[in-house]
Amino acid sequence: MSNAFTLNGNLVSFEKDQASMPLLWFLREEAGLKGAKFGCGIGQCGACTVHMNGAAVRACSLPMAQVAGSDITTIEGLAYDEQSLHPVQQAWVEVDVPQCGYCQAGQIMAAAALLAQHPTPDASQVEASMTNICRCGTYVRIRKAISLAADKLASEVT
Amino acid sequence: MNPVSLNRRQFLKTSAFAGGMLLTLSLSGASNASSKEKQSGLGVYVHITKDNRIFIASPVMEMGQHMKTTGPMILADELDVAWEQVTLQADCPAFLTRNEEGELQYQFADMGTGGSHAVRRNWDYLRQAGAIARRMLLEQAAQLWQVPVDALRTESGYVLHPSGRTLSYGYLAEGAATQKVDLADITLKKPDEYRIMGADTVTADIHDIVTGKPVFGIDAEYPNALQVVILRAAAQGTRVARFDANPALAVKGVMQVVALENRTDKYANDDPKQIGAAGLAIVADSLWAALQGRQALLQHQAVKWQVDPSYENQSSSHMMGKFRHLVAGDFEATTRKQDGNVSNAFAEAKTKLDSTYETPLFAHACMEPFNCIADIGENEATIVVGHQFPDKVARTVENLIGIDGLRVKVVSKRMGGGFGRRWEEDYLAESVLLSKSLGKPVKITWTREDEIERDYYAPAYVMRVQASLDESDRLSGWHHRQAQTRGGARDDCFPAKLVKNYHSEHFAYPNKIPTGPWRGPGHMQWTFAVESMFDELAEAAGEDPLAFRLNLMRPHKAHEYGGWGADKIDSGRMAICYEQAAKLAQWDKPRPENHGLGIAGHFTFGSYAAFVLEVSVDAANNLQLHKAWGAIDCGFAINPNHVRNQMEGGFIDGLSAALFNEVEIVKGQAMNNNFHSLRLMRLREAPVSIDVNIIENDYPPTGVGEPPTAPAAAALANAIYAASGKRVRSLPIAKHFSI
Repeated sequence: MSNAFTLNGNLVSFEKDQASMPLLWFLREEAGLKGAKFGCGIGQCGACTVHMNGAAVRACSLPMAQVAGSDITTIEGLAYDEQSLHPVQQAWVEVDVPQCGYCQAGQIMAAAALLAQHPTPDASQVEASMTNICRCGTYVRIRKAISLAADKLASEVT
Repeated sequence: MNPVSLNRRQFLKTSAFAGGMLLTLSLSGASNASSKEKQSGLGVYVHITKDNRIFIASPVMEMGQHMKTTGPMILADELDVAWEQVTLQADCPAFLTRNEEGELQYQFADMGTGGSHAVRRNWDYLRQAGAIARRMLLEQAAQLWQVPVDALRTESGYVLHPSGRTLSYGYLAEGAATQKVDLADITLKKPDEYRIMGADTVTADIHDIVTGKPVFGIDAEYPNALQVVILRAAAQGTRVARFDANPALAVKGVMQVVALENRTDKYANDDPKQIGAAGLAIVADSLWAALQGRQALLQHQAVKWQVDPSYENQSSSHMMGKFRHLVAGDFEATTRKQDGNVSNAFAEAKTKLDSTYETPLFAHACMEPFNCIADIGENEATIVVGHQFPDKVARTVENLIGIDGLRVKVVSKRMGGGFGRRWEEDYLAESVLLSKSLGKPVKITWTREDEIERDYYAPAYVMRVQASLDESDRLSGWHHRQAQTRGGARDDCFPAKLVKNYHSEHFAYPNKIPTGPWRGPGHMQWTFAVESMFDELAEAAGEDPLAFRLNLMRPHKAHEYGGWGADKIDSGRMAICYEQAAKLAQWDKPRPENHGLGIAGHFTFGSYAAFVLEVSVDAANNLQLHKAWGAIDCGFAINPNHVRNQMEGGFIDGLSAALFNEVEIVKGQAMNNNFHSLRLMRLREAPVSIDVNIIENDYPPTGVGEPPTAPAAAALANAIYAASGKRVRSLPIAKHFSI
């Protein structure tokens, strides 16, 4: 079994004895990427959300063995480059979503995966995909930012 | 993290917090700075570089209440720079000193955050600091140009000469730092001169947030820090009887297992307060190794616990039963506040209602689990932590191990939520003690289970309200009788002062369930009872709920307020919030079948907020929240954008607690200890929109972190009644309706 996978565009690998380690701890402690957050450790809150082959996954509950061979993107790799943020991040800035900010990287990753799958999501698609918890209660702005991001992505395509 | 960065700051020393600020400048740090980093300091919080960039360190902690934006806005506006020039420093520096009694206190701004006081307590200080710094720049320019200061003005980081010549603050800063300022020359801007305050401003460090920068305590790294998690028994009071460290030590990276003892203190009422829970500290070279070590100990049942029998009867359902019994019966309670004679009012009443409202223990569930880095040396210490009160961090170190609090460097990190829980000292005390005993820096990180099992919950309340209407359907008597796990009643809030005959009494009930402040302590619980009863009375009077409230607020008057956080409570200001929330909601507009509107308002720590919420309830008791409309009077709104953000989020947080938040304790043990069993609101359950009206007036600014939360439970219960005819008198509401 290969222990290699792609992390934000770079090929990396993990040690054999890390096969059962959740991806979250590889990201935070091995790769030094602190954007994905520890919130519950049981895949409930979504603070650790990253993309695996483009889909939103909860890194706290995903063992490295399942990561092998996949393409992982974290919040640190979402922006096209340092100067130009991803449209979802841009929308998050324009709407000024965050309060404490702790869950927001996960929320942004969940929203980006949603929009990749459904470029113009309806309310029920947003509600089904956005299951991350925000104790500060920024949901009204998250809805607005997703809608704005969808507009931005649409204008990028044309 | 750069632990030496603070040494290079240059200090603007102020002789007094309030009143006159005599300035001296210490430039000792300047010569040590490298040329690249050389910054001309005008103060503790402001650094101006030669290329005219303004660096501002937040004078107040950030936990989601947006003070890291608001504080610098106040300072920058009086300094008269453009907001675009400002760069925020990542950490909040904690500067402490001792007062004449030798107590540790803040040297400059009041950094602590809680009770929605950060704006109130720093409003004058930050404006003065900005204005003084601006004056020093003006003095320097006047000296260079050999003109009177009064001939000059400032704009967006430049001093302007009448001839049109300009000098940048960056050019002037180094010389300005030596200028002496006569305080009589300091003038503060008038509101119409504000360029930053009053305008919508985006979160100052939002780029860090949306790109996942390591700004939280949990992200912090520290040289040679050992990573630690603690295995504790689920039940309060439990001790480690014996243990076998080997299963943990067999995990690669685990170095040591250390037994920790219970530590207790006392609440003000002498009930025991646990401030450190016994357990096994698993010390490792990575957090993942420590977590595996903890798991290994559990799997091998390698620890035998000794249960504390005094927790046998410490169960939340048992206590709620006791509370109901107390408030329903004829037992003597402690009177907290009494006006007139409620018995007479009830005897003469046309209508008398008697309802009992209940709220459970709420968990805090801060999204960022607790963590703290402690590096305890012989005579000095460094603590890296997100804590609401950095002065308390230093005080805790001093009290625990005797290191002079002025030799404690507190590196304050952004907090992933606080809500009152990050006021407590438990999670930092155990790091301090462990670092001291190991002689090495440690970082302890909690799991979610730790966080819920070792919470200081919002107290559980049973509140019996008897209220009467006189012949003309005016409120004539109010009797509030309450029992709770610990903590007072909000009996100086309305309807106190609005009703002639008023009596508030409560039962103290000794117990060992840990409780503490939870976002607007007691205010949402109080409001749930009061504003639900308002609706029940309005119905009894055959009156519209909004009209009933507006009548009750008459005559409009500012009354003395004896509760914490304000000295006046104004029924006129409250009335305007009800009216404006209702206006936004189009209160009188017919709604679809099964829909209903609920209204509630409250005064919390100086600010007034009211909300209208629209819900629907179908025949199968399926509840849906649709839209909300809110109005807030927080005096001058420094950043309307963030006032709205707090109004939206604070109300949703209150709705979340009202719907779902309940920790059940059985024999001292939390039965629901993670998000699979402790539900919090998610996007699909939240209102789709919340429109906000910020009332404009000339009052000085007051807080917005807690005021929007208090009305939530009552607004929801009242809306449910309007939609379904079903009156909810106990939380959590999801026990009665499906959502």
